[in-house]
Amino acid sequence: MTPVARNRETAETGADAAAALGTFGRYAGPATLILSSLADGAKHGYALTKDIEKFAGIRLAPGTLYEALSRLEGQKLIEAVPSDDRKRPYKLTAGGAVALREHLNAQRQMADVGLGRLARSWATS
Amino acid sequence: MTRGASSRHHAERLLRCYPRAWRERYGEEFVELLVEDFADRPRWSGRTCNVVASGLLARISGAGLTGAALDAPDQARATLAALIGSLAMFLALGIAMWSQLTIGWQWSAPDTPGTTIAVIAMSVVVVIFAVLAVCAAGPVIWTVARAFLHKNAGGLGRPSLLVGVGLAVVIVGSRHFGNGWPGTGGHPWSHQGMVPGGVAAFSWAATLSITSYWMHPSALLAFPRTEVVWMLSSPLAMGMAVVGSAKLVRRVQFSARVLRIEILLGRVAALAMSLFLVAAGLWTLKGGPGPRGLFDTGSIDRFALVAMAVALVVAVHSLRRARSGRRTQLAH
Repeated sequence: MTPVARNRETAETGADAAAALGTFGRYAGPATLILSSLADGAKHGYALTKDIEKFAGIRLAPGTLYEALSRLEGQKLIEAVPSDDRKRPYKLTAGGAVALREHLNAQRQMADVGLGRLARSWATS
Repeated sequence: MTRGASSRHHAERLLRCYPRAWRERYGEEFVELLVEDFADRPRWSGRTCNVVASGLLARISGAGLTGAALDAPDQARATLAALIGSLAMFLALGIAMWSQLTIGWQWSAPDTPGTTIAVIAMSVVVVIFAVLAVCAAGPVIWTVARAFLHKNAGGLGRPSLLVGVGLAVVIVGSRHFGNGWPGTGGHPWSHQGMVPGGVAAFSWAATLSITSYWMHPSALLAFPRTEVVWMLSSPLAMGMAVVGSAKLVRRVQFSARVLRIEILLGRVAALAMSLFLVAAGLWTLKGGPGPRGLFDTGSIDRFALVAMAVALVVAVHSLRRARSGRRTQLAH
């Protein structure tokens, strides 16, 4: 496969994956946290919990974490890294990276709008 | 037992909340996470609730009713399994209700249009259910038989046995108790009902366990002992047949065509369930007790109506999931 073809495939997979993240319902929050945590490298369940707690101040309960992990894996946004350890690490896929970027960009746009309106209307209060 | 060993034991117990396929995939690593969570937060009571709720959700998702989208064939199989479960509950309650009415008609015809229309409509729907059952079972039996013939039936042996034994017990037992009851098969006026006496008796005997007598143990103890044993054992036999059938459809590799046919039959069955429910509701609301109270409704009938409505909602929901699974596959 040529590099161009590979990039195109990644982009298409990412577009599908970004749409898939929108179907996560109440797991969209945990899923975004997990993808953000995996963005700097593979982690197993407990490491994910501690990392998310560190950067977001949220401790995901075990059941919630694994519900989101299984959905992310089902949507091919993350994948398990082969390991002999009982604690299996997970890593972000190319589709997962695109999905996370698009999702965070959309959230940033919303944050920018909200902060801009707050600045205009509530600056003096 | 050390604290670590106790935590692991507790974690392994919590893991049982999840379905087997989930445990096989995530069990080991999930137990490790739980053990570390126990060490970090030994007194956190929310963990058990969280794991139990997630396990339940995983089980419902595994049945194709909610949660993560399955691929189209798997979703179709999950839908069929959910349909079998919901239809079994619906039919057990519905047939119990219908057989009571048809037996009542053998004694005396109903005196209100509500009951008359309801019993006729329910009887028509029962015939539709019987035709649908034959049409749905045919391709499944054919596919399972082919799998056995080609020695490709891994995992199908036990569910097939469950279905076979469960159905055999229900059929033989219902025939035995149906024939033995003087008010039905051997009834002198069995010809004057709108349903053949043997069919009414068989249906009555098959659903004998669905009765309010469970709330009156002293009356129940006056029943012949074999009849009480049948009332206890027949739901188990039906359960075996239902669980075996659900497992079969989850494990058999159906062709896309067979899956389409089965889902189509499922949609017709959901429509039939709706009609039956409307008819049963008509009897409950507008029927009246009839001559000698033969068509009187009781608490158990109102409870059955609610449970049947729940079964219908589950069936419709699972059929919608099958459609969305197919759309997802087409979109890709």
